[in-house]
Amino acid sequence: MFNTKKSLVVASVAALFSGSVFAMSGSSDSNTASGEKIDGKYAANYAEIIKKADGKYLDKEVIEAILGKDAAYGRNGLEGKLDPANPYSFEVDDSIDGGNHGNAQCKIPAAFTEVHESVAKNFYNDDYTARGFGTPIAESALEKWNITVDGDGKGLPKAGVGMTVEEGGKVYVQFCGMCHGEFGEGAKGYLALAVEEDLVTSDFTDPAPMKAVGNYWPYAVTLFDYIRRTMPFWTPNAPYIGDAGYLGMTGYILQSNYIPINDEGEELAEDTFFDSAMLMKMNKYMPNQGNFFCDHRPVIHNARCMTNCDKTQVGDGTGNIENYRQARKLPDGTPQYNVPQRLHEDKPGVGHAGM
Amino acid sequence: MTDQIVEKVAVQTDESRNQSRRAFLKGSAAVAGGVMFTQAATAAEGAGYDAKKAVAPYAGKEEITNVLQDQAARKSLGFGVRKYPYGMPSPYEKEVQRRTLEWLTPDSMASITMTPLQQLHGIITPNGLHFERFHGGVPTINPDEHRLVIHGLVERPLIFTMDDLKRFPSVSRIHFVECPANGAMEWKGVQLNSVQWTHGMMSCVEYTGVRLSDLLKEAGIKPEGKWIIPEGADASGMSRSIPLDLAMDDCFVAYAQNGEALRREQGYPIRLVVPGCEANMWVKYLRRIMVHDVPMQHREETSKYTELMPDGTAQRFSWYMEANSVITYPSPDFKMQGPGKYYVRGLAWSGRGKVAHVDVSFDGGKNWKEAHFTSPVLDKAWTRFEVEWDWDGSEAFLMSRVTDETGYVQPPMPQMRNLEGTNNVYHRTAMVTWRVHAWENGKSGGMIENVQY
Ligand code: HEC
Repeated sequence: MFNTKKSLVVASVAALFSGSVFAMSGSSDSNTASGEKIDGKYAANYAEIIKKADGKYLDKEVIEAILGKDAAYGRNGLEGKLDPANPYSFEVDDSIDGGNHGNAQCKIPAAFTEVHESVAKNFYNDDYTARGFGTPIAESALEKWNITVDGDGKGLPKAGVGMTVEEGGKVYVQFCGMCHGEFGEGAKGYLALAVEEDLVTSDFTDPAPMKAVGNYWPYAVTLFDYIRRTMPFWTPNAPYIGDAGYLGMTGYILQSNYIPINDEGEELAEDTFFDSAMLMKMNKYMPNQGNFFCDHRPVIHNARCMTNCDKTQVGDGTGNIENYRQARKLPDGTPQYNVPQRLHEDKPGVGHAGM
Repeated sequence: MTDQIVEKVAVQTDESRNQSRRAFLKGSAAVAGGVMFTQAATAAEGAGYDAKKAVAPYAGKEEITNVLQDQAARKSLGFGVRKYPYGMPSPYEKEVQRRTLEWLTPDSMASITMTPLQQLHGIITPNGLHFERFHGGVPTINPDEHRLVIHGLVERPLIFTMDDLKRFPSVSRIHFVECPANGAMEWKGVQLNSVQWTHGMMSCVEYTGVRLSDLLKEAGIKPEGKWIIPEGADASGMSRSIPLDLAMDDCFVAYAQNGEALRREQGYPIRLVVPGCEANMWVKYLRRIMVHDVPMQHREETSKYTELMPDGTAQRFSWYMEANSVITYPSPDFKMQGPGKYYVRGLAWSGRGKVAHVDVSFDGGKNWKEAHFTSPVLDKAWTRFEVEWDWDGSEAFLMSRVTDETGYVQPPMPQMRNLEGTNNVYHRTAMVTWRVHAWENGKSGGMIENVQY
C-alpha cells in the first residue's frame, strides 16, 4: 500500500556511482535535443526546457519532459532524485559529503532556477565593498557564545574531558530525570529520550511511532550539542554541569539507547570513561543513520483539471465524495467544534466572527 | 525576480470583470431584440442600469417600520485622545485571539499558538495576532545590549549593534511565515473544526530589515564557506544550517514587522527572514551567524523538522514550504445563512514564488471554478482569493486548490497520504475539505464541518 524508500537504498548506491558518469556525459553533450534523456535518466538541456516553459519547473509536463513520464512521479521519481546529478535532486555527491556515515549534506536542486538567479545577482556578480558599519571582533572573543558543535564533531571539548557513564547517569538523574524519566522513558508528558519502537508502519491508521535518540537520531554528536545548548530546560547551558557533565550525560543517554561502540556491537559499560573521542567513535554506529534522505518533494505532479476530473483526483481517490472521515462527534451526532460555547449553540447565521 | 516585490494585481480580476461585462452586453443586445448598438460600452452601461430592476430581489421582504432609536454612542461623548497611547481593538473583538491546544505540548515555554485565520481579512496579520512558536519561552531583550556577530569562515569577523544594522540599506517585503507543522494534527484524519487549528500556524506580515547578502558580504565569505548557521539569543539557542545558496537569495535580517519593531514573540529585536522556507529557519533573537563548511546536524534538523515515511526512512533538510491554500469563509467557524449567493474566500500561498491560480470545487474535486484575487499577488506571500457561489442548499464539499508560478498543483489528501504515509508530522500541504451540511430549512443549523477523504 505504501511507497517504500528503504528498498531503494541499494538501488541508490548503484545509481550514485553511475550518476557521476551521467553527469559527465551530460556536460560534454549539452546540445541534446529537447527532452532527450541521458541514458534514460534526465534531459541534459533541462534549463532550456524550463526556460521555454516560462520557468515552470514543477509543471507536470515540464518534469515529464526532463525526467520521463514514469520517473517523474512517486517512487520512480524518488529513485531518480537520489542521484545528485539529477536536476531535481537535493542530494550531494557522497564523495563530497561523506555519505551515510559522514556528515551528509543536501543542496538546492539545479532545476530551481529562480534561486540561482538571485544568488548569482546578490553574490557572484556583485562587486561589493564593505560599508564599514560593523566593528571587527576577534574569534577568541566569541569563546563563550560559540558552543556550536558541527556534524563532524568540530567544536567538541578536547578528548579527556568527561566522566564515566555511571557518573554521567547520576548527573542525569539529578537534573533531567524528573522530566525525561530516569532511563529516558519520558515523564509528565515530556519527551522520551529512549524508546524501542519500530519506525516502519504498514497502515495509515497505525499509531505514529515514537521517535527518540536511539531509534531515530542520525548523529550522536547532535545530542551533546543540544543538551549543552538547551538543557536542563529551565537553566540551559548550566555551568555547574559543565562540559564533563554534559559529556557524561551524553554517554548515559546513548547507553540507555543501546548504541554500539564498535563493529562487534559492544555497548558502553558503567565504568567506560565517556569523552568526545568516545562520542565520535559512536557517532557512526547510530542505527538509523543510513535512513535519511534529502528532501525529494514534490513527489506529486498533477495537471490542473477543471471539469469532470479523473476519479483518482476526486473525493476519496476513487471518485466517491461521500466517503469521508469526520472529527469526533457530540452525543447528539453532530460534529464537535472547538469552541462550542461560541458556535454550536449559536443559531444559523454568520457565526461568531460576524463577517 | 525575487529580489523585488512587483505588485501585480491579478489579471484574473480584470478578466472576470470583462467577462461579466461582455455577458451583460450580450444580454442587453438580446433584450433589444437584435437592434445593433454602436454606442460606447459606457453608454450601454448607463442605459442598462435600471434601479427598479436592480432592487427586485428585495421584493416581498418584510419592511422594518419601528422607528430607530439613538444609541448610547450618539448621546454622549466618546473618549478623548491619548486615552490609549497605543491603540487596542474594540472590546467587541475580544474573541479574536491567538489560541493554543493544551494537549499539543507539555509546557507553555516550548509551545505554539495559532492565528485566527477565520477572522482575518486581506493578507496582513496584525502583530498581536501573529502566531507564536518558541522552544524556550519569550525573552525580553534590551536592544541596546543586543549584538549580531558574523564570524566563522569569513575574512573579517564583525559585530553589529542594532543602530549599525539600521544604517544599512533597508528592504521591506510582505512574506508569509509558516511552521512546517501547520496542519500536522490532520495527517491521520480530521480532529479539529476550525481553520485556526488546521492552518493557523502561519501569518503574513510586512518585514523591514537588512539584506543578509549585504551583511555576509560585509564580513567577506571565504570560498570554503558553504553553510550559514544562524543562532538565537534565547534560552533555546535555536540553530539551523542553511546552505549559502539560500542565504544569498532573498533572506534578510528584520527589525520591523508591519511598520513597528518586531514583537517579542516574533524575535525582538531582530530575526532572520527566510522567505518561502520553514519558519523554524527564521531564527528569532538572532545574535550570531556562523559561516561554516558543513552542516551542523543540530537537533532542529535531525530529531525535529524531518519527515518519517511509512518504511522507516526519513526526509531531511526539507526547507521549502509547498504551495497551499484554504477557504476561510465559509469555514467551520461560520454557519450558512440559507441558500443563495456566497462569496467564498480564502488564502493561497507558495514557498516557491507567486500564486498563479486558485480553483475552488463545490463537489469534492470533480469540477472546479477559477477564483480571482482580491489582493496584490506577491512573491512568497499570502494571496487572497474570492469566488462567487450560488448555493442551492444541498450538501456540498468545498475545496480550494492552488497552482503556483512553478506549475505545481496542490494535491488532494488521499494522493499525499499514499505517497508519504501519515507519520511525517511536517509539511501536510494537501487540500482540506469543508462539508456544508444540507440546509433542509435550517435543520442542520447551517453547519460547516471539516472532513477528510
Ligand atoms: C522542566 C523539564 C525538563 C528538564 C528538567 C529537562 N528537560 Fe530536556 N526537554 C524538555 C522539553 C520541554 C523539551 C522540548 C523542547 C522543545 O520543544 O524544543 C526537551 C527536549 C530534550 C531533548 C530533545 C529530545 C528530542 O527528541 O528532540 C533532549 C535530548 C533533552 N531534553 C535532554 C535533557 C537533559 C540531558 C536534561 C538534563 C540536563 C534535560 N533534558 C532536562 C524539558 C526538560
